[in-house]
Amino acid sequence: MTDIAKDAKVAVPAGAAGSERQVETIPVFRRTMDQVKNRVIELLCLLFFVSTLLFFLLRLTGDPAAVLAGETGDQEQLALIRRQYGLDQPLWYQYFVFLFKAIQFDFGNSLANAQSAIGLVFERLPTSFTLVGIAFTANLLISIPAGAWLGSRPDRTGRKLAATAVFVMQGIPGYIVGLLLIQVFAVELRWLPSIGNQGPLSWIMPATTVASFQAPHVLRVISANVAEAMREDYIRTARANGASFSVLLWRHALKNAMLGATALIGAQVSFLLGGSIITEVIFAWPGLGRLMVTSVQTLDFPVVQAAVFVIAIFVYTAIMLTDVVFIMIDPRLRRQRA
Amino acid sequence: MSTTVTTPAAKPPALGLRLPKKLATGSTQLDIGIVLLTLVVLALVMQELFVTSAMLDGNLSKRLRWSGDGVGILGTDQLGRDLFYRVLAGFPWSLGISGVAVVMVATIGTFVGLIGAWYTGWVRTVVLLGVSAIIAMPFLVLALVVIALIGRGFWPLSLTMGGIAWPAISRVIYAESRGLLTREYVLAARLFGVSQWSILFGHVLPGLRPTILVMAAFYFATLLIIESALSFLGLGAPLNAPSWGNMLSDSRQYLVNAPWMMFVPAGAICASVIGLNLVGDGVAELSRRRARAVEV
Repeated sequence: MTDIAKDAKVAVPAGAAGSERQVETIPVFRRTMDQVKNRVIELLCLLFFVSTLLFFLLRLTGDPAAVLAGETGDQEQLALIRRQYGLDQPLWYQYFVFLFKAIQFDFGNSLANAQSAIGLVFERLPTSFTLVGIAFTANLLISIPAGAWLGSRPDRTGRKLAATAVFVMQGIPGYIVGLLLIQVFAVELRWLPSIGNQGPLSWIMPATTVASFQAPHVLRVISANVAEAMREDYIRTARANGASFSVLLWRHALKNAMLGATALIGAQVSFLLGGSIITEVIFAWPGLGRLMVTSVQTLDFPVVQAAVFVIAIFVYTAIMLTDVVFIMIDPRLRRQRA
Repeated sequence: MSTTVTTPAAKPPALGLRLPKKLATGSTQLDIGIVLLTLVVLALVMQELFVTSAMLDGNLSKRLRWSGDGVGILGTDQLGRDLFYRVLAGFPWSLGISGVAVVMVATIGTFVGLIGAWYTGWVRTVVLLGVSAIIAMPFLVLALVVIALIGRGFWPLSLTMGGIAWPAISRVIYAESRGLLTREYVLAARLFGVSQWSILFGHVLPGLRPTILVMAAFYFATLLIIESALSFLGLGAPLNAPSWGNMLSDSRQYLVNAPWMMFVPAGAICASVIGLNLVGDGVAELSRRRARAVEV
């Protein structure tokens, strides 16, 4: 199974000649390639759509030259800025120039401090990825075992109570969890720093916040799937063969339950980068989300455009990877495709 | 075949529009959810009838006081306004904005899904491509940008959210109605010469009702969270509007002195979201149980 995945990953940039030859021998590979091709077309459509929307929204809502000049700009300055940024050209021309530059990841300079917009975005990415990575790991480490435990004997009183608690947790928005955490651990107990990225201690609260609105969801799906799986015939067969309860649960039922949860987890990964915005604002986390909110508030459009563009690409990559993971972990899909 | 139901639940429980007429629906979750939402609606009515603008005015001499001090019903905020009345006045904002948005989401989502399922060829390709492209868009970011440009307020916010959030519903409706379109009753209707629109809206749409209800309940909750999040960031409802997100955002500066400023709006948000989740879950469970009862 890993071979297929490896092929798919390696062969993507390999070009048509190499893949043509392999098509006849490995149909699975062609299926995957088709999938990848479709996804790339979709990605291009998405990027086209996003950039077009951003471009025209900006033009519709005002004169960008006026925004650039600020409140002190006079007529002469406006004319200068128009010439400098090509704003005196016809609209369709500006649009094509914008698209052409967007393909090359060139969104111009930030209006706030004249650095390149895309550079600013890339600068912030690692910080965001730290937060998102920790939160995602914590999410899986908590929700998979807890979900299996809840789903293994769902009728017991303790687990019913726990399931109710998880349901209530699911209804509490992440930023409220964040505010509560600050209230308890930073204001009352003074255990944890609540501002910025100052080493591992300061990672705890933001990561918990992000994980808190993802974990209950995954947990409930896994627990429902495990409960479903525990009633299946193959579990009864395994039990008749003398398998212990923990083997039944962790090796047989959980494996099947993970299949259904993968789609959700994939969707969550793609949501993480855009969805951690509010957490970043609450904890003054110097990541991409906060950069975006500040740029939106100060109307620093090159940065916003660059950030949306980059996030869209990441979201799409995540969706594509989910598809690949699906083929890797589900033997039925592999057989069907082969 | 339906007479051989082995489960003790003899009658398949009622679904959809018949729900409010019965007090007990057969699903505990749904019952609790309906009770919670009824309370929410009552609060909405109460604020329309009883909350006057005088009650919303602040009294600076009583600012940041806890209700235990005998000031205000649920304490006061930084301008001395009673949080109880303010949170009531927030109902039309928070629920109204996400309500308008969810109606839009359900309508557009269902319509586009049905169109994609009915047509083949380029229409379907365009629908599917467009849907998956918009799904991949960072939702919150896009909403932020649009609202920063168009401006805050009730209608910009609700229309923006409604205009961006529908594709996820489309995808589900598309998959489900493709299944329904292969059923024999649809074929029969076609042979009778029933027009395309009556087949889609008269014959297929009723079969989608539980799905639409469930998704609408969950999306209502999600949009409520997003609305309050946007207001919280200062890019949602107008600054002085008593939307719950605005109240939470105000409370951040007074976490140390007046934590109740956070708990009151947070409680309102959580109660509404949990109520909606319960309804969604309950309806889903009922329709599953019903489907199982029919199959047996």
